[in-house]
Amino acid sequence: MNATPATTPRRIALGRRPVAALGALCGAVGQPLVLAGSVAADIARVATLCGIYLIRGPRRWREVLYQCLRMGNHSVVFVIWVAASLGMTLVYQSGLQAQRIIGDLSLLGPLYLQLLLREFGPTITALMVATRVGTGIAAEIGSMQVTEQIDALRMSGAHPVAYLIVPRLLAGVLTMLCLTCVSVLVSWVAGLITAQVAFGVSPYTFASLSFIIYGDLILMLLKATAYGLAIPIVAGASGLAAHGGSEGVGWATTQSVVACSLVVLFLDFILSGFGYLFLLR
Amino acid sequence: MRPRPAPPHPLWLRPVAAAGERGLQVWSATAGVGRLSWQILRRLLPPRMDARELLRNLYTVGVKSFPIILVTALFVGAIMVIQAGLYVQQYGAEGLLGWGAGFATLREVSPLLIALMFNGRVGAKNTAELGTMKVTEQIDALRALAIDPIDYLVMPRFIAMVFMMSLLVVVGDATALIGGAFTSQLLLGVDMRIFFQSLIDYVALEDFTLGVYKAATFGVAIGITSCHFGLAVSGGAVGVGKAVNNAVVAGAISIFLLNYLVTYLIP
Amino acid sequence: MNDATHAAGAPAPPCLSCHAITKRFQGQRVLDQVGFTLAHGQMLGLIGPGGAGKSLLLKILCGLVRPDAGQVRLEGQDLTRASETQWQQQRQSIGMVFQNYALFDFMNVADNIALPLRMLGVAEGEVQERVDDILAKVSLRGVQEKMPNELSGGMKKRVSFARAVVRRPPILLYDDPTAGLDPVTSAKIWELLRDMQRQGTTAITVSHDLGGIRHLCDQWLLLDRGRIVFSGDSEALFASHDPFVLDFWSREHSHAT
Repeated sequence: MNATPATTPRRIALGRRPVAALGALCGAVGQPLVLAGSVAADIARVATLCGIYLIRGPRRWREVLYQCLRMGNHSVVFVIWVAASLGMTLVYQSGLQAQRIIGDLSLLGPLYLQLLLREFGPTITALMVATRVGTGIAAEIGSMQVTEQIDALRMSGAHPVAYLIVPRLLAGVLTMLCLTCVSVLVSWVAGLITAQVAFGVSPYTFASLSFIIYGDLILMLLKATAYGLAIPIVAGASGLAAHGGSEGVGWATTQSVVACSLVVLFLDFILSGFGYLFLLR
Repeated sequence: MRPRPAPPHPLWLRPVAAAGERGLQVWSATAGVGRLSWQILRRLLPPRMDARELLRNLYTVGVKSFPIILVTALFVGAIMVIQAGLYVQQYGAEGLLGWGAGFATLREVSPLLIALMFNGRVGAKNTAELGTMKVTEQIDALRALAIDPIDYLVMPRFIAMVFMMSLLVVVGDATALIGGAFTSQLLLGVDMRIFFQSLIDYVALEDFTLGVYKAATFGVAIGITSCHFGLAVSGGAVGVGKAVNNAVVAGAISIFLLNYLVTYLIP
Repeated sequence: MNDATHAAGAPAPPCLSCHAITKRFQGQRVLDQVGFTLAHGQMLGLIGPGGAGKSLLLKILCGLVRPDAGQVRLEGQDLTRASETQWQQQRQSIGMVFQNYALFDFMNVADNIALPLRMLGVAEGEVQERVDDILAKVSLRGVQEKMPNELSGGMKKRVSFARAVVRRPPILLYDDPTAGLDPVTSAKIWELLRDMQRQGTTAITVSHDLGGIRHLCDQWLLLDRGRIVFSGDSEALFASHDPFVLDFWSREHSHAT
């Protein structure tokens, strides 16, 4: 894995060293790109298969429900904790700055809610779900892959993507939507309390909905759906690519967190830009 | 498909039992992390660790996570500018774009997201490595050779993570601002010079240093949690997967907790 | 294409055959120009030192892995370039018993065995019947509700076997069926294989237990580091004077006894 550089024999011609160095540099830059490329290819393949089986295949709703409950159960406390602490931090920070520079805190509530709906609510929830549920999926499917259960599934006539990933995909979307709503609510309430306790802003001033437009809500739901689709696909693809015993499972879970987070950020960027250009003018 | 058979509790007792079990797990993790923190603290003064391992870990932790952190930082910068751009539009204050985006990025978003990414990449990998070593009895082998696993394995990784986290946030901040500048020019139509000017005018050095303090703190948290969960693995391949999961979650929880504490304690 | 040979008087295509199979992993040749032909109702013994090449060959024969070169033929049909969907169709007539059981650890025993039937769309009532039936055949009554991690190695092996044969496939692939089992349990497993042979299935067995498969196999394939060292029927094997064959047979055989 970490290749140690081979000792160069003394007879090496002087001209070879810069070439070797250049080669090493290209390798250092190229290798992550190649790795990223192969991961992206895996994800694209799994995504396409998911699409096909979503439309075509049998939908095992009981399995979807079971996965939903599992995902929700695992992440709800975590998400609430993170949402609350983030809400407190953000409102405290913004409040301090607003006090210092503008001196007026009446807009704190509505502006905070806007930002929460558009950005922090769905994205932070998604990052936490990717951490908790995404690693879970990658670990599960990864250990099935290294113990040949995926092969046994194929031998029994089930397609691994259809049987394992598609139910988690549907469950992921539903769970993300619910969790995003919960997280936004918790963050908002935490912010409300912080504003009152730290700055004396009355809850009525804080709880103003005057700035919220439909575009904000649509963007939030759009992001939550996109993340809910992306996380099971990326985590599942990482799990299926595991090989080599417990080391392979560890590697798959690691890759899954990073890939899920990057994909979430990427989707966030795209959807934020989309929101800026079309939804929120 | 049937889940595991339920334990033989009466129905009304089951949620209590589940909550209790969860509570015990959390307690055992917290206690384990506390114990490891104490062991690390003792070995910090005077510092004793293997220098070669330290260098190797600095390389693995820093250099290898570099590209991912850069990409994260670029996205963070771009997203923050888009969000700030929405407000700037509402109030027509283009001159404040740099301040709005830069301030939040340096103080909050950049250290947080880079720490989360670092936790997911380096923390998880570390837990997986240590976990596999535990499962294949390499930790026991070290002990049998009279080598303290904490000296040899944990300390170099810990120091490397704290150091590299701080460094990566510094570089990440710069990258985020550059990414933000490009987004502001290309997507929002606000000239880069205006963007940088408002950055220089309104964002203070202390905003930047707060971010770096946070980064170091996050590095400590990630180092301790990932090492603890790695060394506490049991149960083969499945156990390693679970440990990575728990480690990443514990790391994230610590990050958010510390984020709040540092913000509160250093206004 | 292959029915041309089915003219009156022409021999029926062999059940299972492969030709010049080659597979490389990271530059190393794990399988090199391996081929054999197996007629209906015969059992092939796949033996040799080490393990990677033999298990890999089994996986190539049921399409779980694609070879770098060579052809795989089932009932005369060339399946080397077949897609996953086409392989899914073919796998209905193949059963595989994995080396490490590969039981689904999130389902109980009954669901494990029932999965292949449910995927075929068999009615629920019949599924239950056939599951109970096959468990009785492998002498494992009453374990339907247990989870795989509650079973002993021998029981897991028998459940894995039950799952492979519940669809009554004409072709069976056994990857080291008695690995890690005590002699008494091993004997029971060999008895099961013998039963399947009596019912006329075509099978390939990978094994290190030469004493166990000695009287079961009609054809033999001895691989060393991915290359064929010996290929032929039992008579030829026991009459062989090849030093590698003799050395291997005596070493492995003495280990078993």
